[in-house]
Amino acid sequence: MSALSGIRIIDLSMGWAGPLACRHLADMGADVIKVESCERFDWWRSWEATPEWIADDGAEKSVAFNMVNRNKRAITLDLEHPEGRRLLLELVKTAHAVVENYSGDVMHKLNLSYPALQAANPSLILVSMPAFGSTGPWAKFRAYGSTVEQSSGLPHLQGYAEDPPTMEHVALGDAVGGITGASAVLTALRHQARTGEGQFVDLSQVEALHALASHGILEYSVSGTPPARQGNSSPRFAPHGTYPCQEDERGDDVWLVIQVFNETQWQALVTLCPALDEFGDLADRQQRSADLDTSLAAWTAPQNGRELMYRLQAAGVPAAVTNTTADLLEDDQLKARHFWQYMQRAVVGMQPNPSAPYRPGTDPTPIDSPAPTLGQHNEAVLGGILGLGEAKLAELQTQGIIGKRPRMPAQADAGTADTERTQD
Amino acid sequence: MTHALDGLVVLDVSGSIATAYCAKQMADYGAQVINLEPVGGFATRFEPPFVEHLHAPENSALHAYLNTNKRSVCMDALTEPQLRTLLHSAHLLLDDGHLPSRMLPWQPADHCVRMSISWYGAEGQYADFTGSDAQIFALNGMLRNIGHEAGPPLIPTGHQAQFVAGMTAYVGALGHVLAAELGNTNAAVHLNTSIFEAALCFTDVGAITYYNTGLQPARLGINRYPPTSPMGVYPCRDGWLGVSVLTPSQWHAFCELLELPELKDMPLFQTTIGRFEANDIIEPMMCEKLLQHSAEELFYKGQASAIPLARVPTMEELFSVDQFMQRQAFSSASMVGGAQISVPSVPFRLFSTPPHFGGPVATLGEHDPGSLS
Repeated sequence: MSALSGIRIIDLSMGWAGPLACRHLADMGADVIKVESCERFDWWRSWEATPEWIADDGAEKSVAFNMVNRNKRAITLDLEHPEGRRLLLELVKTAHAVVENYSGDVMHKLNLSYPALQAANPSLILVSMPAFGSTGPWAKFRAYGSTVEQSSGLPHLQGYAEDPPTMEHVALGDAVGGITGASAVLTALRHQARTGEGQFVDLSQVEALHALASHGILEYSVSGTPPARQGNSSPRFAPHGTYPCQEDERGDDVWLVIQVFNETQWQALVTLCPALDEFGDLADRQQRSADLDTSLAAWTAPQNGRELMYRLQAAGVPAAVTNTTADLLEDDQLKARHFWQYMQRAVVGMQPNPSAPYRPGTDPTPIDSPAPTLGQHNEAVLGGILGLGEAKLAELQTQGIIGKRPRMPAQADAGTADTERTQD
Repeated sequence: MTHALDGLVVLDVSGSIATAYCAKQMADYGAQVINLEPVGGFATRFEPPFVEHLHAPENSALHAYLNTNKRSVCMDALTEPQLRTLLHSAHLLLDDGHLPSRMLPWQPADHCVRMSISWYGAEGQYADFTGSDAQIFALNGMLRNIGHEAGPPLIPTGHQAQFVAGMTAYVGALGHVLAAELGNTNAAVHLNTSIFEAALCFTDVGAITYYNTGLQPARLGINRYPPTSPMGVYPCRDGWLGVSVLTPSQWHAFCELLELPELKDMPLFQTTIGRFEANDIIEPMMCEKLLQHSAEELFYKGQASAIPLARVPTMEELFSVDQFMQRQAFSSASMVGGAQISVPSVPFRLFSTPPHFGGPVATLGEHDPGSLS
């Protein structure tokens, strides 16, 4: 039996953050039912759908979609059709929680805001996870994971003072929002399990990123001054930075992070690199940090980055090579821990899947099923849970309320069409 | 007031940033979190920034943020029976992969979940590596793409990987605590979270993309991350504006906002990739327009047109953003002697069983073992 066996989640979310939140629950054995429609499919399948893309099975080829939707079941329901909405509410009656991350007013427009859902299921949990939270003047504002990072204050803590506030990622907020979303659902589930009470849960993805910016927030809070933006230099340690390494089979952009946190580590580094012996204690190293970085870079530059990482670590010096995302599939540690689980998936074939980042013992929790195809479980869910017969399912199909192929939105202009009704 | 995690007993015996952040969410939601500290206190007590007029080990603002609403007991103050009783009562034990010698051999109660959060996990080639947030971001593939094209790649500041791992561990730990309460498990569980693997949440999609396409994005410069385009943080007349334009309708609305009709319908610019490849054409025109307006004005006008624009607040501005003020995004941690500092609040809110906003920070060994019920 899995940890969350017996728990059912209706996943109305799209993009990265919401689906990732629900994936965590699915990974622990919850029955997560993802609901899309043929026209309003998860925009992470594509935000630029075209007829050609549909004909080419593009909806099933999105790496991003497939990564965050494994272990789930998927149905289609046109929630803008009264019958589609009614069937969703029937499904909600059997669920413990609903998770959504539509833009602020979509649930209201669909007449699916919390009071409507609660009327169907009084003990239901609704987790709403918009970028800025569901209250306050920005509640209905749109955002992606990049917007979340920009809004968090974090870019003012990165990089060099002479550069613009510096972002770390194309969508930093999404992954953090997803993990926080799973936390929110579980916290409410725990109360529900003890009392039978559901409730509305509001998550702000931007506020979730404040923890990552807390070093700056706390510095300002105690001193009234933000930390200086000084690239890779540290006000506490030296050396501290990224140093070039020899070109290898991965190309010429190979770097090694080296950080020395104490004098023991410094002495170990000097033993390996005697040229650094001219530098003294921490104060001296900080005062001459530019020269120190130059000397260290001269030592690392002709060396193989990965081999040097192992040598330095063996000597007790903190070091790590800058992996490419391609390297991740072959990384020694990830291979040793069987982090990537390979699994066949319809249309795209064999795919690597990241394991859940918490595991009982040495082996990762096995992944039960790859990401479902659009509407893959219409019969199993609408028939198996709601008891709809074949004739009714065929009728729904004819009406376009359910289906297994995406359609261009009726109002789409020529070329591409927005299918999203959401933020990440 | 009822809290969602009432009745839950959590012991933190390591006090790392990751275990502390995991337990912090639980304490803020009503769990009884007990820091079992060594005589000198947890390492976070000695991490900056420090409150100027306070003294170690009670002056760390980081420790205060991470430890609101928890209790502090010195492990050495516990008698053997007290320690055993405490361990038996715990629903969740948090550590960094190593238990204090007094707790060995570990004999957990059947309902106990143990969550060990370590840098790389207990096995594999990196198991004995020294860890740090920067090293995690180097190995997870993220660091390489931050910074100027010529390098060096930039290290993300702070303790970001540890916070991500703390929240990730919260998910695994609470999921399994719930499993015990639901009767889905009937034996103790020892989970482990590797900070490295937790931080792969940012880059795993890149690895799978490479597997399917052979494409490996290079470092392209400050705030250049395909495919979203235009995207970045841009100067305006009086501040910074965050731009993320993804869909065709957002692009059209953005061009109208900036009065750049000549770009709006150009076929090449109707997709993000097309715009990304034409960044050198689009960006100068866009920047010239942005400098004619205030960031605040563009932010509100853009959002009114469903364009995901952002204010990019400095640390100083962050505390006065109306959205954050209205939502009480920051609250006070109360330190020794009545000192108060502003800290981020819990990022999710249960409406019927709300969390604590801020709260007291226990001094080292403040709680008498006998007072723990």
